[in-house]
Amino acid sequence: MVAAAAARPGFGARLRAEPAFAVALALLWVLLAFFILYPLAALIARVFVDQGQFTFAAIAKVLTDRNQVAAFRNSLWLGTLVGVGGTILGFVFAFAATRCRLAPAVVRAIDIAVLLPLVSPPFTTAIGYIFSFGPRGLITYDLLGIRGASVYGLTSTMTAETLTYFPIAYLTLRPMLAAIDSNIEGMALSLGASRARVFRTVTLPLCTPGLANAFLLLFAASLADFATPLILAGNQFPVLPTQAYLQITGLFDLSGGAALSLVLLVPALAVFLAQRFWVARRSYVTVTGKGAGQAPFDSVSPAARVVLVAACVAVTLFIVYLYALLVYASLVKAFGANDALTFEHYRAVFTEGLRVLFDTLVIAAFATPLGGLYGVVMGYLVTRRRFLGRTTLEIVSMIHYALPGTIVGIAYLIAFNDPPIVLTGTALILVACYVFRYGPTGIRTTMALLQQVDPSLEEASHSLGAGTGTTFRRITLPLVLPAFFAALGVMFIRSMTAISATIFLVSISWTLVTVRILENMTELRLGMAAAFSVVVVIIVFVVIGVIGQVLRRLRTPGSKPVTGLLAA
Amino acid sequence: MNAGATHAEAIGVAVTRVSKRFTHAVKGVVHAARDVSLDVAPGEFLTLLGPSGCGKTTTLRMIAGFENPDEGRIAFGSQDVTHLPVNQRGIGFVFQNYALFPHLSVFDNVAYGLAVRGQPGSEITRAVGDVLQLVGLAGYERQFPAQMSGGEQQRVALARAIVIRPRVLLFDEPLSNLDARLRVQMRDEIRALQKRLAITAIYVTHDQEEAMAVSDRIAVMNRGSIVEIGTAEALYHAPRTRFVAEFIGRANLIAARVGAVGDRHADVEALGRTLQVALHGRAPAAGTRCLLVLRPEAIDLSDREAASDALVGTVLTRTFLGEKVEYTVACAGVTLQVVRHSRGGGDAYAPGAPVAVRVVRDAGTLVNDAPEGDAP
Amino acid sequence: MSIRTSLHAITRVVAGFALAALVMAPGARAAEVNVYSIWPENWAKPMFEEFEKATGIKVNFVRFSSGEALARVIAEKNNPKIDVLFGGPVETFAAGINEGVFEPYKSPSFAKLPARFRHADGQWTAIADDPLVFMTNNKFLAENKLKPPASWQDLLDPAYKNGLQMADARTSGTAVTRIFSILEVNGRDADKAFAYMKKLRPNVQLYTKSGGGGTLPVGLGQAGGGIFFIVDALDTKAKGYDVSISFPKEGIGTSAEAIALIKGAKNPDTAKKLIDWATSAQMQGLFAKHKINFVPASPDVQIEPSLAAVLKDAKIFPIDDAYAGANRKKMVDRWVAEILP
Repeated sequence: MVAAAAARPGFGARLRAEPAFAVALALLWVLLAFFILYPLAALIARVFVDQGQFTFAAIAKVLTDRNQVAAFRNSLWLGTLVGVGGTILGFVFAFAATRCRLAPAVVRAIDIAVLLPLVSPPFTTAIGYIFSFGPRGLITYDLLGIRGASVYGLTSTMTAETLTYFPIAYLTLRPMLAAIDSNIEGMALSLGASRARVFRTVTLPLCTPGLANAFLLLFAASLADFATPLILAGNQFPVLPTQAYLQITGLFDLSGGAALSLVLLVPALAVFLAQRFWVARRSYVTVTGKGAGQAPFDSVSPAARVVLVAACVAVTLFIVYLYALLVYASLVKAFGANDALTFEHYRAVFTEGLRVLFDTLVIAAFATPLGGLYGVVMGYLVTRRRFLGRTTLEIVSMIHYALPGTIVGIAYLIAFNDPPIVLTGTALILVACYVFRYGPTGIRTTMALLQQVDPSLEEASHSLGAGTGTTFRRITLPLVLPAFFAALGVMFIRSMTAISATIFLVSISWTLVTVRILENMTELRLGMAAAFSVVVVIIVFVVIGVIGQVLRRLRTPGSKPVTGLLAA
Repeated sequence: MNAGATHAEAIGVAVTRVSKRFTHAVKGVVHAARDVSLDVAPGEFLTLLGPSGCGKTTTLRMIAGFENPDEGRIAFGSQDVTHLPVNQRGIGFVFQNYALFPHLSVFDNVAYGLAVRGQPGSEITRAVGDVLQLVGLAGYERQFPAQMSGGEQQRVALARAIVIRPRVLLFDEPLSNLDARLRVQMRDEIRALQKRLAITAIYVTHDQEEAMAVSDRIAVMNRGSIVEIGTAEALYHAPRTRFVAEFIGRANLIAARVGAVGDRHADVEALGRTLQVALHGRAPAAGTRCLLVLRPEAIDLSDREAASDALVGTVLTRTFLGEKVEYTVACAGVTLQVVRHSRGGGDAYAPGAPVAVRVVRDAGTLVNDAPEGDAP
Repeated sequence: MSIRTSLHAITRVVAGFALAALVMAPGARAAEVNVYSIWPENWAKPMFEEFEKATGIKVNFVRFSSGEALARVIAEKNNPKIDVLFGGPVETFAAGINEGVFEPYKSPSFAKLPARFRHADGQWTAIADDPLVFMTNNKFLAENKLKPPASWQDLLDPAYKNGLQMADARTSGTAVTRIFSILEVNGRDADKAFAYMKKLRPNVQLYTKSGGGGTLPVGLGQAGGGIFFIVDALDTKAKGYDVSISFPKEGIGTSAEAIALIKGAKNPDTAKKLIDWATSAQMQGLFAKHKINFVPASPDVQIEPSLAAVLKDAKIFPIDDAYAGANRKKMVDRWVAEILP
């Protein structure tokens, strides 16, 4: 790469030359310092400083507690299992979708079913799982007649998390498999290799970086998952995020919770760095949308095809079954005891639950556009502009995205609970949490999109007489609009469904549907929890549908469709 | 319309001792342009030609204003534009990849520069219509770039660059993404359009045939410097450097020694004979060692018996290429490349056949032995 | 130029939101009171609606488990966000007194209440009484040929192995009342009590985050049985789940449900009105109407006949709030260290 040797201009010079740029940059730094760096510093200070003295006491307490060490080990083990299992499952789905010549309608149906766990409130899979596999589960007891099946522990948590998160692997691996030039596989086949050999020696190695990336994404997702272990892990299999939560909300041991979350920070950062500095440099397949399309030859043997398709259909049907169970639970008086049909849970959602729905929607309505805007502006600055500290800015902006929500939530609670800056109890703290935690998906989509937009477009605009501002407004911005809308989608989904960070931040004035669902479940109001979940899933699907329509509208005739952006 | 008629007087471009350095991750500091000077006359079509990495695109981008020179000065007419931002230079730039705005229709693409200049809508509509007519795209207004073929996109890019009536029109390898036939057609159209509009044009390419077809003059660049500037004919027939001799067309380079030097001719000893060459410019001193440049078409082959004083050679290979036949001939210890036009049956020297080799009178020229040296 | 238009629209919407955010800063309005309710929403909500109907004062509330609620009150000590902590076992309130988060207040009903239903200084006042019960799934009992447990020892039966659910002491007041019940029946001998809990541990399938968390699994038969507050147990039965409610012959604890005024409350007047109302027959007389199976604390309210029938032969003893408050943290820490893993 050739980079300009000319020194990057200083801030003062920039301020004079491009005031808008300089002000935006300064504003971003202030926001990042305030909402990302300060809370993290507060968290670390809480762990290591006690009454003005530097101390290792809190962290030592965690590291010497047998329980907490077990929780740490469990978290890593669970993450590894979910990472491996989810990656394999995601690969099977992606491979079937790109190589098995399925009818487009089938692929579409699979896509929608697979999207369900990604857009649902966090407990939905876990609830359905308990009802299916508990001691009196529909499958274990009623179908298989197993007595005294145990549902709490590693196996259930792992299975439920794998089902919840494998779509991430599917969505990242599918474009990659589609982008592998089928001629490469065809070439290997023509050289006399068997289909299995082609798969093993060509297809799989080309996917290795993608598989590694999918594994890391799933590992991180599992590491951060709070809701599934809370429901399914039981007491023998403690994991860090739930331990930290109970430490804080139950024992009000803020330092202990902070110390636990700091321990969690180590593997989370390791994953982030591995992704950034290892996987990113080992990509053989650039996903440009040039896709080789359907394989022109049969790259999958008929037998393998049957197995693959059967596996996909089985898993898809199981997901559909779990959601059918959810819908059923929302429509009967008392699940498992009184199967009389009723709408009372929905009536309750839209009467007593209306306020929490409204709160959540208001928070989402703030967080969504702000997060989208933040993502696009930041993404533009770090890809298209040269300035001092650019890489630092990008890395800092990604921190909260990479960290488990429990850490972020606890950090916000510590940082903004006491003067000088009291934000707990306000909507602002929830909005800020969402914007800086999920806005980075917008940064990433914007960066990805801009990397595909040749800088000569902007140069062309300059050569035709347009200044920096006009060029950004009339050329760059419209081109990154799909990224903006994709970011809006992600922001909205997360604002409606996230819990791990925000459970620490809800208050008397502002509470969230997900927290309410958790309460409902512990309050025995399963019907209402289910009804809330169904309503949230429907709202999210409608909004994603609208955003999808907008994305289609934005598509200029003849251009390639923007797909997969929601996967980020 | 006649866009040329409303044009202001064409202006020249003067590039004076411009240099540009980059830092390369592996190679360290790289001189992309070193002390480049160019004078482009008003209305002239000048091409920067050279192998990839020779600095031609960097030079063009400095003229456009996309890059700032580390040293030197660039002037449009009497105006010093060295530090003028791109968008105030009044240039038209045609990119290698066209750089059409994918989200704008053909009309909006072409209208962009006019809209930026704040021209009234009615005038924009008229000007865009006229220019699309000019490039043969009338009726394509509502199309989007992705719906068009490469050639059509190229025309839109051209229309977009000329509709703003630029003072200087700049092309960065505009034809390299087109297929061979379209490339020939487009280069003729570009040439015709430039003459008609009488805009000063600077064109970058690595394709010598393209350069010869469109240019008034060609500046050959190598390693960041301009090696020679001249018309296509001068560069072909009378290169002053070994680099140009080898880069433009094909050449037999034969070790030679200067003998008697006359006013316009000199005798050189080469291939074991004394040959007469025409002198272009500076005359070499007698006795100098240099290289004789012989173009393949400057060597004639005939049956061995016909001319007794001719050199004797043996055909090594023969390649039939339709309009011409290429031979390699072993002669006086060197291998010569020879091209003859196909003339039916009487021109088939098979490999191994003995032939008489004759150098066309005055066809050779002399260059220094050094790879990048000056003329002797 | 539709893209431009939509961009303008987006800009305007964002600006509008930002403006609204500034305007909508939360602030105290007239005639309202902010509450953390430890009672589940399905009981708290009808009560607060009745209060609003009676007084015109609006109740803003959010529900937390007792541990969470207390944790929040302590965290917000310097800048209280609420006025009243509502419901939840007195142990929770006793722990709060140690943290100095309450403002003593004696409502008009205060004097009428028995001593165990009020804190001597008025730091808290009881609004209901809530005994613990054993709840078992009838189908489970039948399959294992068991009778509803009638002794603490019955729960140690291997048939219950991995079959009981009860609350986690880190988050739930129910669990704390349970632990102190076991302490009481063991003569406050902590070692003996913990030895029992250790023996019980293999039979426990799950310690739930909230006190009622195990009732649904027991109702569904996912778990065989558990120890719950009577309100949760009767509610499960009322929903139609086939469960038995029983009491141990050694006796089981009951915990008063309390209410307290928060120190530094921003709406002290409306808060006191809510406390006055909740500690009197005005509220407690409405339990039966809303099918809430708390035992009223106010002597002015008759216990509902069906509830009285359930409690008829049960041996129930109160948890000493002074003892519980003083030992809560120690016992919970010991429970977390010795029993939970």
